Amino acid sequence: MADALVLIDANNFYASCEQALDPALLGRPVVVLSNNDGCVVSRSSEARQLGIAMGRPYFQIAEQLAHHGVVVRSSNYALYGDMSQRLMSSLEPWVAELEVYSIDEAFARLPRPRGGDLSPWARELRSRIRQNLGLPIAIGIAPSKVLAKLANRIAKADSRHAGLFDLSRQADPDPWLEGTPVEELWGVGRRLGRWCRLRSIANARQLRDMASGELRAKAGVVGVRLQLELRGVSCLPLEEAPAAKRETCVSRSFSRPISELEDLRQAVASYVVRAAEKLRRQRQRAGRLTVFARTSPFAPNFFSRAAGVELPLASHDTAVLLQAALQLVPALHRPHRRFVKAGVLLQDLQPETQLQQHLLAPLPPEQQQRREALMACIDGLNRRYGTGTVQWAACGLQPDWAMRRQQLSRAATTRLDDLPTVWAR
Amino acid sequence: MAGVSRSAAPLPPVLAAPALTLLGPAQGPLPWPQLPLPLAGESVAAGFPSPADDYIDVGIDLNDTLIRHPSSTFFLRVSGDSMTGAGIQHGDLLVVDRSLEARPGQIVVAVLDGAFTLKRLVHHRGRLRLEAANSAYPPLELHQCGDVQIWGVAIHVIHSFSRHG
Repeated sequence: MADALVLIDANNFYASCEQALDPALLGRPVVVLSNNDGCVVSRSSEARQLGIAMGRPYFQIAEQLAHHGVVVRSSNYALYGDMSQRLMSSLEPWVAELEVYSIDEAFARLPRPRGGDLSPWARELRSRIRQNLGLPIAIGIAPSKVLAKLANRIAKADSRHAGLFDLSRQADPDPWLEGTPVEELWGVGRRLGRWCRLRSIANARQLRDMASGELRAKAGVVGVRLQLELRGVSCLPLEEAPAAKRETCVSRSFSRPISELEDLRQAVASYVVRAAEKLRRQRQRAGRLTVFARTSPFAPNFFSRAAGVELPLASHDTAVLLQAALQLVPALHRPHRRFVKAGVLLQDLQPETQLQQHLLAPLPPEQQQRREALMACIDGLNRRYGTGTVQWAACGLQPDWAMRRQQLSRAATTRLDDLPTVWAR
Repeated sequence: MAGVSRSAAPLPPVLAAPALTLLGPAQGPLPWPQLPLPLAGESVAAGFPSPADDYIDVGIDLNDTLIRHPSSTFFLRVSGDSMTGAGIQHGDLLVVDRSLEARPGQIVVAVLDGAFTLKRLVHHRGRLRLEAANSAYPPLELHQCGDVQIWGVAIHVIHSFSRHG
């Protein structure tokens, strides 16, 4: 019997993480806000039942949330990142192959047992993850990745499935495919979705059964694969090792609009510092750096600028990247504009090892080594004692434009000073 | 440092199902930087190789030693004196494994009235109850308190003699 492809994901991941480490939140409605406390990005099932919608701006519903006694949290990426690692490494012994697809979902492959029924396996896995990590998960099982994603959606949509749905075990899969709008399919973007609708193809079953030639003409080999996957032919492989990243971006909205050049310089500088850290963690160097800033698209006189530079030598040295970025900032700045967001994009990323000695290298090799040691030391201190322990003066001290995270929970699993309390009383 | 007895983890059901392939246990990265302590650190006179060199190990990593299931192990900070009789003091660091099934005799973290509570799970006259290790605190009969969840099993407590030692 063919292997099963499975999509496992955590329900309401951010809200579930908050509940997992804070017993006061168990059974209570919880919402998590996006960066800068902008809008609702995750709701616990209790909050969902209250009818609180995803994506609503916080300021619009703050009163409603307070009225219902909803607990509001800012995004706590230290906690979610750690819980994600715990989730993924907990899944590994349960499957033959695992592809970590995002912070809260993974594709897996495993052989079907005799008789083909994976539901005892799936039920046991769900209860284990629930007990060991406090996270609810949903499991979709099918012969291909596209169908596994679809099955997972069904598993979550109806509580009668108890978080688990095996499409291959249905006598007739067609009604399930018909119940899935074409836009909800994994791999169908906005454009392909619109194209389908124009041809009266509204659901997954109709896309599966449409003429292949027409789909190939529109979407090429991607469309052909999509259709094969819908027919239960697995042709998208599991990617166990993620491809090396081609670019790294750090951008944030400010807590209030900024107009001064010096504030913009500090903001960009602090994003460069973050991006350079990411780069060193990925063991990469950047050959190109772009900075950008914009005003609010909802305000009159929208203004947006980007400026980039090729680096003479690919680098992951914060000082080198800062120098390059800060030279570009005046090109972004206009007096009297109210900037609400800025960022830095590092491109042309190369593996650390590929660096060639360069005639124009700014530093002799032994000095270069000392700089690398300095970067490693700064990264080590910031990891150990918390982000911002060692700072770059260019970022400014206690900037008042920094991201708003007023409802941030503690880094309960990654910092000794933030551990939850257990009462002996 | 007082080690609290811990039971063997129940076998994951995947081990019992012969049709499934098992790839080894999860060895996820630990959520804090590892600080190996050197096991042997003799200074060596120049010229002669030390006969001890062959025996120098990589060091003792307390994470490896104390934690069998990193992905389901959490740290909590103890507050209060109800467990002093079990060697657990106010301010101690508690290591809790959520993957272990709680058995009578073990010290467990329970969720009670929206808070983590530390007690010993005890079999008493045919019923389970949660007991403090300090006579000033009365036991809790599990069948009498409505909604108690055993969150995890305490496997170690780390007591520092100075707050920042």
